[in-house]
Amino acid sequence: MRQTAPAAQDLAQRLLALEASVDNLPDVYAASSTFEKLHLSLVKLIGVTGFQALLVRALALAKTEVAWLAAVEVEADGTLRGFEENARKQSAEETIQGEVTLLSQLLGLLITFIGADLTLRLLKQIWSELPSENNFGAEEIS
Amino acid sequence: MSEQGKVTIGRLATGVPGLDTVLGGGLPEFSFNIIAGAPGTGKTTLAHQIMFANATPERPALYFTVLGEPSLKMLRYQQQFDFFDAAKINGAVRFINLSQVLLDNDLSAVFDAIITEVEASSPGIVLVDSFRTVVRKAQTGASTEMELQSFIQRLALTLTSWQATTFLIGEYSDSEVYDNPVFTVADGLLYLSQNTERNSIVRKMQITKLRGQASVPGLHTFRIDKSGLQVFPRTFGLDGKRGKSSKRPRLSTGVPALDALMGGGIPEGASLLIAGPSGTGKSVLATQFIAEGVRQGEPGIVAIFEERPEEYARRAKSFGFDLETPQKEGLLEVLYLRPLDLSVDETLFEILEAVKRMGAKRVVIDSLAGFEMALAPAFRQDFRESLYRMIGALTRVGVTVLSTVEVQETFTDLVFSPHAISFLTDAIIRMRYVEIDGQLRRILVVVKMRGGYHSKDICEYEITSDGLTLGARLEGYQGLVTGVPTRSEQS
Repeated sequence: MRQTAPAAQDLAQRLLALEASVDNLPDVYAASSTFEKLHLSLVKLIGVTGFQALLVRALALAKTEVAWLAAVEVEADGTLRGFEENARKQSAEETIQGEVTLLSQLLGLLITFIGADLTLRLLKQIWSELPSENNFGAEEIS
Repeated sequence: MSEQGKVTIGRLATGVPGLDTVLGGGLPEFSFNIIAGAPGTGKTTLAHQIMFANATPERPALYFTVLGEPSLKMLRYQQQFDFFDAAKINGAVRFINLSQVLLDNDLSAVFDAIITEVEASSPGIVLVDSFRTVVRKAQTGASTEMELQSFIQRLALTLTSWQATTFLIGEYSDSEVYDNPVFTVADGLLYLSQNTERNSIVRKMQITKLRGQASVPGLHTFRIDKSGLQVFPRTFGLDGKRGKSSKRPRLSTGVPALDALMGGGIPEGASLLIAGPSGTGKSVLATQFIAEGVRQGEPGIVAIFEERPEEYARRAKSFGFDLETPQKEGLLEVLYLRPLDLSVDETLFEILEAVKRMGAKRVVIDSLAGFEMALAPAFRQDFRESLYRMIGALTRVGVTVLSTVEVQETFTDLVFSPHAISFLTDAIIRMRYVEIDGQLRRILVVVKMRGGYHSKDICEYEITSDGLTLGARLEGYQGLVTGVPTRSEQS
């Protein structure tokens, strides 16, 4: 079992907050929208198979931390199945914990493979409001 | 057609040191090129280096990945190179994954996907990696060879019309290069290879084809390190003329009596070979020569292959020569050239770069035997040619070169070098042991001074804590050069 790194958790929370603030979305929709935006942007870069493989791994890691994610699956096209339905069945706290855990595992994998600098640059291209500084020991993004 | 009316083909700087020279000035703009070679030869790294050097926000680079190395891994590994600029990703450099398009569709869908992206961003550079998989798809699907040829031709034509310089990257062996529709259409073919001989690996690049300009023919060695690729053109150092006037100043060896034997020292810009068996003091004399240059304010380079610089400096110190201070003061550079898999071109490049950097007047190569051992086995076979190039290139830029060479002592003849290279040098000093009165003593003689006077005296010398000290002519003996002289009858 690999726990999510605090820095990745913090980044995930920021992304979810940013997404929720766009249209005052409820948490669960903000999370879905975050994954969709990541899907759209990263599939072009690393392909459907690449994104799907990362998300499957992230979900496998997140499932060990959050029980309700066990009912969630990743489709062949790299989208999540059963995420929103199962999230709605949880308490607000459990929902947020599941969203943050899954997203932070995905971000953690990206950071592991391509580094914090490049990951943050890619994220900033989706969420330009994302602050430039990071807590991963990488250089500040200009 | 008049010269005035001819089209001028623009050339892109590749960003790969040495490659523009090999290409004849850079890559022809808007050309359709193939980077081919076996796995692990450096194709993707070369492509990335060219891409990052040329991509701009206005004319971005589009890197289409097709079932080759996954982009995630590519980004992971390529960012280790200095040329990788993360700030350009998804801006000036855009990766587009076409694997699914290729898996789900035919060649026209791939063509449409590429062209849609090209029309949207008007790129200056387009790369498809791996193009081999596109061709394989065509060969395993319903597409005929004509359809494949048509696809490649349409792609080439369209990308050129959009003023993009294109690179198709593919794993091809050299036997596949011929009679292949992909290669027929291409304007340029850069073929990379790596050959293993014993435990050494030598990477080589060949410009097999280049339309519109003359590239340098032949195989050029290249190295991949943290900076990316660096190509060493095989003609490196062969251009330019050797400008030697008849009245050249003489450089002191640091041993006044030896200078006198040589008619005043070594002519500037000449090459001197010091030959002798192990322990005769060749390196001591070489150090004395470089130290004398430093003393006179002439920057110098010492290229060593066996010892590490600190060991070399330590040994010089035991003979009274301080090589550390001049190194700190920028008057001396001790080049330790990585052993065992060097190419001649690379060695030459390193030394010439150091000469340029330092404004060096004197160069010591200590020793030729070490240099030979440092070369990859493939280059040892052409060692004489290598030395010819090396010495020629160095003296052509005006530096005075002193090389040492170890010869096996025989007691019947006087060997100058194990490589039959004495004709390459302007001057030769031969050192050797002689047995006299139950002692193993050392003698030296100036054997050759091209175009100038030199003494024929055979002199005894000593190696002391002050370096080499030359004595007077050793008289009263015959057969000194055999090593076992006899007393002359007169004495």
